[in-house]
Amino acid sequence: MPLESNLIQIFFSHIKREFLINFRSLIDVISIISFMILIVTLFVLGIGPFEEKLKFVSNAIFWIGLILAIIPSLEKTLQRDYDDGWLDQTITSPLPLEFILLSKSIAYWLIIIVPLLISFPFFVILLNISFKLIPWLFISIIIGGLSISLIGIIGSALTLGAKRGNILLPILIIPLIIPILVFGIGISETITINESPKGNLFLLIGFTLIYLVISPFISALLIRIAVSR
Amino acid sequence: MLYLQNVTIKRDTKIVFYNWSTKIKNSKITIISGKNGAGKSTLLRAIAGLIPLENGTIKYNNDEIFKDQIKWGQNLIFIDSKNGLSKDLTVYENLKIWSEMRGWNASDDDFQKALNSVDMIHYKKMYISQCSEGLKKRAALSRLYLSILFDVKFWLLDEPTNELDKKSIILFNKLIQKFSENKGTVLLACHELKLFDFNYELLNLDLLKK
Repeated sequence: MPLESNLIQIFFSHIKREFLINFRSLIDVISIISFMILIVTLFVLGIGPFEEKLKFVSNAIFWIGLILAIIPSLEKTLQRDYDDGWLDQTITSPLPLEFILLSKSIAYWLIIIVPLLISFPFFVILLNISFKLIPWLFISIIIGGLSISLIGIIGSALTLGAKRGNILLPILIIPLIIPILVFGIGISETITINESPKGNLFLLIGFTLIYLVISPFISALLIRIAVSR
Repeated sequence: MLYLQNVTIKRDTKIVFYNWSTKIKNSKITIISGKNGAGKSTLLRAIAGLIPLENGTIKYNNDEIFKDQIKWGQNLIFIDSKNGLSKDLTVYENLKIWSEMRGWNASDDDFQKALNSVDMIHYKKMYISQCSEGLKKRAALSRLYLSILFDVKFWLLDEPTNELDKKSIILFNKLIQKFSENKGTVLLACHELKLFDFNYELLNLDLLKK
């Protein structure tokens, strides 16, 4: 059976599965969005009615809100498959686990990024983000979102089967997210001072590509260890 | 012939098999029996590639199976007590996605037949979260029928009859017979031997010196 010929079909069937599961019980998607709205709203209310103050911190609030909103849902991405035995089925299937994990992280990225982009206008109004920033912020959260989901899969694989995974996970993955945060904010900062954001953007893309290459291999290794216990 | 050569298998820190060799005949049904904790599941999981071997090799027709995991994956099906069914999907969707994941181009007719083979056709649109344990097990076993169509050579089944009722056990027996007519090899861990009405080889782990 020529497995290579329908590799793309298998890739999409995994993505389809993730979409079916996540959009059938919308709770994960809704919790990400509502949590992010909550964080941003609280910050804005906490700052008070001073536009100048908001201008300094709006980018940071947006990115921190994004990261904090995604983290709680990360643990479940693999834990659910581990509990119901789906991971055993994928390991004993003809395809390399690395390939499946890559499709899984891309599916997860699409699942978190689409609702975020839909609710984007709301954040623009709430944080008083200037018009020239909007397209760049759009690009940077799309790229940054991919990094975060790739890192998230590593973290999720690392805490697989651990009893207190939900506490351990943020501590383990936040150091890896720091470069994404720094360069993501860097893009917006350079634009506000009328400079080219290309340097920061390329660094952001660079880090995402690094994670794209290493994440499937590391998480596959971790999952194999978790399953063999 | 599946040939386990000087195999050492560890689970956590406990050595379950030490320097052990055995042969499992092709196109035969082998039942692995033994008391609880004898290592039935561990042995099946090791052959499936879920538990790495500490030492030794497993050869299938003189090829080491873990050297080419892709080829070995095409040859086998592994079903254990966890079933591998997603709670938020229906019985039909679970079967369909599982078969897509293995790269099989099964038609809708094949899925109908597969579900019919375990008498699950009426529960086709039921979510797994609503199913009882017996129904879940039957939904998982519906894969066996599909695998006969797509030329799988090995079934590794860990206690497949646990939650099944009498009627389903008869259907399960039929599936196994059909598979062995197609020269398939079954490795089955179970302690209830009187349920089966076919000829089998017995691999009793209690008699093993560790």
